[in-house]
Amino acid sequence: MATYLPLFMLFGVAALIAGGMFVATTWAGPKVPNDAKAEPFECGNPSDGARNIRPSVKFYLTALLFVVFDIEAVMIYPWAVQFRELGYTGFFTMASFLALLAIVLIYAWRKGALEWEK
Amino acid sequence: MSDSVFFAIAPLLVVSLGGLLLMMTEVFATRRADADGPSSDLAMGTFITMLAGAITAFALWLVGPDNLAGAKAVAPYLLVDRFTLFFDMVLCLGGGIAALLAGGYLPEHKLDRGEFYPLLIFSTAGAMVLASAGDLLSLFIGLETMSLGVYAMVGFRRGSMRSTEAAIKYFLLGSFAAALLMYGGALLYGVTGKTALAGIGAAIRAGVSSTDWGILLLSMVLILAGLAFKVSAVPFHMWTPDAYEGAPTPATSFMAVAVKSAAFAMMLRVLISVFGDPLSTSWGTGWPPVVALLAVLTMTVANLVAGRQSSVKRMLAYSSVAHAGYVLVGVVALVEEPGTAQGSIMFYLLSYTVSTAGAFGALILCGSRGKEAVSYEDLAGLGKRHPAVALIFSFFLLSLAGMPPTAGFFGKLYIVSSSIGAGLHTLAVLLVLNSVLAAYYYLRVMEYMYMREPAAGAPIAVPMRSGYVRAALAICAVAVLVLGLWPTSSLSMAIDAALALR
Amino acid sequence: MLSQLTSQFPANDFTLLAAVLLLPLIGAFVCGIFGKRLGKEGVRLMALSAVFGSFIASVVTFIMVAAAPHTATKAARLSWKAWHWFDVTGRGRSVVPIDVSFSVDALSATMMLIVTGVGFLIHLYSTGYMAKDEGFYRFFAYLNLFIFSMLVLILGDNLLVLFVGWEGVGLCSYLLIGFWFDDEKKAAAGKKAFIANRIGDFGLLVAMAMLVYYAGTLSWDGLEAAQSAMAEQRTVWSASYLREFPDWLVWLRDLVTPEQPVRMMVATMVALALFIGCIGKSAQIPLFVWLPDAMAGPTPVSALIHAATMVTAGIYLVCRTSFIFALSPLAMAVVAGTGALTALFAASIAFAQTDLKKVLAYSTVSQLGFMFIGVGVGAFAAGFFHVITHAFFKGCLFLCAGSVIHAMHARVHDETASQDMRNMGGLRKYMPITHMTFLVSCLAIAGFPLTSGFWSKDELLFKAFTNTIVPLNPNIITPPLWYGQMIYAIGIVAAVGTAFYMFRAYFMTFHGDFRGWSIVAGFKPPAHDDHHDDDHADHDEPLEGPVPHESPRSMTVPLIILAFFAAIGGFVYAEPLHQVWPLEMFVSLEHFWSPVFATASKFVTTRPGSEAMMWPLLGVGAGVSLFGIGAAYWVYIVQKGEPAKAFVARAGGLHRLVLDKWRIDELYDATILGLIDAMGDIAAQCDRWIVDGIIAKLTSGVVKVTGHALRLLHTGRVQVYAASMVVGTAVIGWYVFTPHAEATIDARRVRPQGQVRFEAAAGHGYRYRWHIDGETVPDIFSGRRNFSMQLERCEQKTAVLTIKNAFDREAVTTYTQCRESKPGCCKPTDTPAPKKEALLGRVDGGVR
Repeated sequence: MATYLPLFMLFGVAALIAGGMFVATTWAGPKVPNDAKAEPFECGNPSDGARNIRPSVKFYLTALLFVVFDIEAVMIYPWAVQFRELGYTGFFTMASFLALLAIVLIYAWRKGALEWEK
Repeated sequence: MSDSVFFAIAPLLVVSLGGLLLMMTEVFATRRADADGPSSDLAMGTFITMLAGAITAFALWLVGPDNLAGAKAVAPYLLVDRFTLFFDMVLCLGGGIAALLAGGYLPEHKLDRGEFYPLLIFSTAGAMVLASAGDLLSLFIGLETMSLGVYAMVGFRRGSMRSTEAAIKYFLLGSFAAALLMYGGALLYGVTGKTALAGIGAAIRAGVSSTDWGILLLSMVLILAGLAFKVSAVPFHMWTPDAYEGAPTPATSFMAVAVKSAAFAMMLRVLISVFGDPLSTSWGTGWPPVVALLAVLTMTVANLVAGRQSSVKRMLAYSSVAHAGYVLVGVVALVEEPGTAQGSIMFYLLSYTVSTAGAFGALILCGSRGKEAVSYEDLAGLGKRHPAVALIFSFFLLSLAGMPPTAGFFGKLYIVSSSIGAGLHTLAVLLVLNSVLAAYYYLRVMEYMYMREPAAGAPIAVPMRSGYVRAALAICAVAVLVLGLWPTSSLSMAIDAALALR
Repeated sequence: MLSQLTSQFPANDFTLLAAVLLLPLIGAFVCGIFGKRLGKEGVRLMALSAVFGSFIASVVTFIMVAAAPHTATKAARLSWKAWHWFDVTGRGRSVVPIDVSFSVDALSATMMLIVTGVGFLIHLYSTGYMAKDEGFYRFFAYLNLFIFSMLVLILGDNLLVLFVGWEGVGLCSYLLIGFWFDDEKKAAAGKKAFIANRIGDFGLLVAMAMLVYYAGTLSWDGLEAAQSAMAEQRTVWSASYLREFPDWLVWLRDLVTPEQPVRMMVATMVALALFIGCIGKSAQIPLFVWLPDAMAGPTPVSALIHAATMVTAGIYLVCRTSFIFALSPLAMAVVAGTGALTALFAASIAFAQTDLKKVLAYSTVSQLGFMFIGVGVGAFAAGFFHVITHAFFKGCLFLCAGSVIHAMHARVHDETASQDMRNMGGLRKYMPITHMTFLVSCLAIAGFPLTSGFWSKDELLFKAFTNTIVPLNPNIITPPLWYGQMIYAIGIVAAVGTAFYMFRAYFMTFHGDFRGWSIVAGFKPPAHDDHHDDDHADHDEPLEGPVPHESPRSMTVPLIILAFFAAIGGFVYAEPLHQVWPLEMFVSLEHFWSPVFATASKFVTTRPGSEAMMWPLLGVGAGVSLFGIGAAYWVYIVQKGEPAKAFVARAGGLHRLVLDKWRIDELYDATILGLIDAMGDIAAQCDRWIVDGIIAKLTSGVVKVTGHALRLLHTGRVQVYAASMVVGTAVIGWYVFTPHAEATIDARRVRPQGQVRFEAAAGHGYRYRWHIDGETVPDIFSGRRNFSMQLERCEQKTAVLTIKNAFDREAVTTYTQCRESKPGCCKPTDTPAPKKEALLGRVDGGVR
């Protein structure tokens, strides 16, 4: 138990400081709201239009597909570096991996996930 | 790496490749405008894939996993033993039945989109990985593969708020539980320096340094919590009714059956391989008292709450929670009665799979589009209008209630007898009392079907017509009856499988 | 002929039973699945021929059982094993095989004859009674299924197969009670029957578990042979069961702990558990409430299931396991006492009922009580004979009631009104056959001399007076000697009541003037008045209607056959008659059954001088029935019911109470059902309020404190779910975080050598420190879990175990042990009482 005590103390102190500052500023600070203060502070242009505008789901779809192929790159790179050492086992493993991704791409394509206008 | 690796993991390969093939056929198939939706052929394809998976697993069972050279090559990431093969069969059965149910349900309710089937197949494949995982890494991959598909299936009814909400809730809490599990696993790795379950178990058995006991215990707590979520034990169960109710019924059936079985497979692997040492199984610091408490809470709370539901689907959801409680009683008995308790758990899961899938299937069959059967009132007078549907529904309910000569009766009997053998008399008595309590709400469905007339002006559920659903029900009914009349051979199979884990 | 049959169906592979069993099952299947397509004629043919075929096979079986070789102590048994079902593990890991097997002996052969025979008559009757019902095919499917289940119950060769049948008949009864499920009341009646039977089933399951454990078998032959296991005495309640008690509950332990361990014979426990099952199925106090309500089903169902066959399954079970019951005088006394009380209590309710079927229902409960008196005093044959005669006369009475109701339906369609005896009267003129058969059966149930009911009821009351159960050894609890006489006295009072209320019903229904409607000769029903029209039950002006009609032949023929047997059926078991006229026929049934009860009868003796009591008691029996009938005649014919009205006027409160069945239903509703509902409500409320409410509030409180930002996430209830998971994890964590100091005590050697050994429970990161209270405390913790303590004679010492866990938290437990070489020589010392007191040296083994 004693071993972990410093750790727990650290947690405690961190929580205390964070919470304390939050509570203290809420309590202690004077609150005189006005329009200028209610503006987002130094966050670019003042926004206009509805706040709850929903971006098209296509963005997410594209982003997801991007992640899939991004991961592909992450996998291929170390394999390429070790290409000779891994030999045929590595080659066929990577080939099947790429084949899988190709199937996924074909599927997404045929399902219309890549068409922006529809 | 020899060719026999492919034989060793053949069930998994068959299911996965079948899934890929179905995906491709779906997107390349040209469909006339007036033709039936994708379900008309994908459901059958999925069922055949699952069936092939189950048959392959059975073939490997007959060959004997010890005779497979390739089995060692994939260890410890994937363990190919009788335990794995048994669960492969149960999972493929559950997945196949869900596919058949979907084949009837999705077109009927205007949800006929082909994505459902690949999701189902890959979830099943994930579940199979989970059941065979012998390493924390593959265990986690299996868990996530299974869960992601299920999250998507829960939210499959995109237009419905309830379905979406259920999916989000399930996803959030599921990630939470996965995080707990992962954190526990990470701590275990930290203490023992190993990721293979057997290696961790051996390290714990050998003893860890005195400063690490605390971390070890913490990891056990986290892993138990994560496992309890996956098997939906009280108080980790609260997502279950919402998710089960919001999901399209075939997905519900899949969750209640395959996901739960896989979760119990994972639980058995982890508790036996990792926490199987005398200290972890002691009643002082071990998991048995915790699991016992979870079992009692799960059975009692779920049964009491299930009795107060007005929706049959929700009632079945709570009932599946209660059944998890019964299985947990068997899990506690593992310590004293390793072979028989584990055999009884696995037999229970098998019998529960066919009974529950059948019950959900019968519920699907009871309703058609716009006239879906959800509440008890919807079922009123069904016994008079459609005796065959009502009869088969009653049959599955009786099995769930544990009446002889159905599968459910023997499931309960074996769990009770193994827990008595392990000296857990209190748990056994509570289990029996709980099953008496549960009979009340199962019988209430029958009361509505046979002894009530629908209220004047109430919408009347009209049974749908679907060969797929009927086929699924026929399979379940035959299985329930066979397991009820000749339980001995499947039990001995389960015990064989159980012994593989020791 | 017989030898051919015997070679065709050998005693150990008696496949004829398959025919008996399967014919009704096929009938049920065909009627249920294809009934709609077959049409009424087809269904009638199928259902009747299935049961009739089964009946023929039963007759053949009966003859073969009678002809099979048997001795005075070993009954002939023809058995057929269908398949091996499964194994269970018994005591000491022995394997107990459970087979799906069937067997037939004298007892079950008789019963199957009744079930298929009476069953066939009632099927026949139903074809007339149900002719206009649209659920015709469903009705016959259920009825055939019932016959099948009942046969499984009777023919099952072990308790589990019997249980399958037991559940099957319960299911059919449930389905048939709610057959006309058009109103809520009938569904409620079905549910009530179901719940009462579930309570009973629980008893049966417990009995089965005990039998598997103690006797290692469930088959009848095996159980009969397992007498020594049955006679074992077992400790059922002793102090050692409550060893580990938290301090604040010690007073409770002291309250419920007996001075001496309570020991009970296995047979007593098993018999009482079995009897709980019988109470439920055979509607005895306190579970009888379902049977009167069960009369909501069609009348033939009441006759078949709720009078002639299913409800007598309890008596059958007691007879079947007579060798267990007879071992335990206590269980027998409970059986007889329950029977006597039920007989009296149900008879008292029947006095005030005006619904014809209700009167019959309570009389059934009362007669079932008589049967339990019979089997409870060791007169198994006599008790079971009452089952047989009751099947005849009560079946006939119900069918007569059905016939009357059928006639009433010509103008009165309201169910309550058509069954109300106040609307009947004078029917003997219009329904001569129904009237005669009803009269004969009434005489039989009232015990009028020479009718079947006279012989059976007198025989069992006589045995109640004279029999005693001899305990196996003097330690066994036995009821006092006057117990039998008391049962007899209660039985006599109930018998007077039976005669009175049955003839009250008879006179009210068949004598006097018809009160249902004013009879108009050549009456034509109004055009709008089809059969399903209910609206004229509450017209103010007197109803007009046709002359009440006698029922069709399909209904009267069964009545005549049943009444015939009700009248003369008693002569096969008329022992008094045998003494004056030694004809073999008068004792034939008794001789046929006696080998079945041979094991049990060893424990039954008659008290001296009972031979001389036979004729006086027979006279009492005859006098009782004549007195009851005479009283009813005086009240309802001579005085035209005036005394009854005067009584109601004088003691209205009592009358209302009896009319409301002593308000037992209300009592149960308020107590038991209320409790169950409340529990469900509490759990649902917990889910809603405690979990959703308190935890949600708690989280929202936490959220408030931690800041505004987190509140944005608080949109749905998913946090509550997560919070519940967190709480669950925290509780698990707390359990692991808390040390649990527990040890196993091995005190086997405390008396001879004075050595006590302890072994502390293991745990991750546990370190232990052992010392003896009062001695120096070592300051180091070690991994040593074992500890031993040496005691002098009469010395008492306390061992202290301290555990430190992985989180450096400590827990202490103390164990006080004493070497009690002389009883009572251990005195608590002056030292303050130890925290957690273990049992004194009485423990005879290590208890974990």
